[in-house]
Amino acid sequence: MTVRNRGALAALAAGVAALTAAALVACANQPAGTVGAEEASTLASPAPTAASAPSVPVTAGELPAGPKIIPPVRLLIPEIGVTATVNAVGINERTNEFEVPPSVDQIGWYRYGPGLEAEAGSVVIAGHVDSAKQGKGAFFRLRELDQGDTLTATGSDGEARRYRVVAREEYAKTRIPLDRYFARDGKPRLTLITCGGPFDAKARKYRDNIVVTAVPV
Amino acid sequence: MQLSYFRRVAAGGAVAALAFAGVGALTASPAYAATSKVSVVHGIPDTPVDVYVNGKKTLDNFKPGDVAGPLNLEEGDYDIALTKPGEPIGSAILTVDNAAVPGGANISIAAHLDAAGKPKITPFVNDVSKVDAGKARLIVRHTAAAPAVDVRAGGTPVFEGLTNPNEAKGDVDAGEVKADVVLAGTDTVAIGPADLNLKEGTATIVYAIGSAEGKTLDVVAQTITGLHSAPGGVPSGDGGQAGTGVDTWWYVLTGAGVLLLLGGGVRMATARTGRK
Repeated sequence: MTVRNRGALAALAAGVAALTAAALVACANQPAGTVGAEEASTLASPAPTAASAPSVPVTAGELPAGPKIIPPVRLLIPEIGVTATVNAVGINERTNEFEVPPSVDQIGWYRYGPGLEAEAGSVVIAGHVDSAKQGKGAFFRLRELDQGDTLTATGSDGEARRYRVVAREEYAKTRIPLDRYFARDGKPRLTLITCGGPFDAKARKYRDNIVVTAVPV
Repeated sequence: MQLSYFRRVAAGGAVAALAFAGVGALTASPAYAATSKVSVVHGIPDTPVDVYVNGKKTLDNFKPGDVAGPLNLEEGDYDIALTKPGEPIGSAILTVDNAAVPGGANISIAAHLDAAGKPKITPFVNDVSKVDAGKARLIVRHTAAAPAVDVRAGGTPVFEGLTNPNEAKGDVDAGEVKADVVLAGTDTVAIGPADLNLKEGTATIVYAIGSAEGKTLDVVAQTITGLHSAPGGVPSGDGGQAGTGVDTWWYVLTGAGVLLLLGGGVRMATARTGRK
């Protein structure tokens, strides 16, 4: 074999090695991907309204009473090792965004939406995927959840309610249909949200949201 | 915090009740929105009535303090008549002919006393625009035989100098607030205090009804749901450990791999040709 030939072979081998490494890295960094998107959107469509009632509904014009809502206080997802305390949270006044609890091992339930008792609508719980200061968050592995996985949400009434994952979706934050996930109508469902997708190190921001939809078992 | 906000919105919030004619111009409904949601509020003390719409009995023995509806009514003109329960429409105690219901609006028709204590019917257009996430809308309507009033929350006036038959409104932080109604500019409580639970994403409409002279002042409340908005976003990570997708170096590596393969291949080919 000539020297020239050996050089060519070495180049070929190096090329193959580089491409193999690149392919491996690309596979390992696959986005979460989406499963069950259609099922999730079907859940959100409101139930068909019954044919208009023959008589006019009449109610006593009393001042609205305090809502009887059962907040989730604990969330268990064995599949991805989540055991987390759930806090009732609202809106950040400054940003108008969901007030995810600052402590990354705790997660937040959107207290303006339905509670666990609701017979319609989406119960929303969001948590950090990670934090620059505190490391991995409670929802670090949320994107590993798959259809059929189960989770348990315990309410303030002490009752544990089981849910089954029907969808996992990934959306750019600029395109995510938040109205659907924060809906108060449609089938009862539990919606888990965190961040994901490519990370912009300059802005310290993930591009996407990962959304897992589960229904009562 | 909530109170100061309250006051700010109240300043611009006092809005006159709109005549039906004005309603049409304001809502400027698109052609396809032909029906309106119409509720009826009974604010005349001690006077249960039957309600007739276009000569047809629509509400039977409708009691003071009750709210009926919402009804879906086609855009058009309606004759409304109130009779004592069981009495024929000919002996109606109150009639409104050719009340124009515009398309695509949400309306409350209040049967109430005017400032002098005479029964009348006033239509109100309900603001059903979305409220921001975390907020609730409070609308107060003066439909009582009483002078001008202030509405206070936690002892501080939020709507001032409200007169019959007008409304004041504002979007406030959702939650509970202790409210009362005082004679304008005084601390003389006319109604309340009462705990108002303002649920997020709803409009709570409170009508002051009855008569100050007759000592029948009271409130009727109507709630409109479904006005909520989603939060602006869900920011839930700034660590970057879970980032997916590939960085710039990946493209460099891939590019180098391709070049090496091509280069090696060409060299190999030319080497073989050279030997021949």
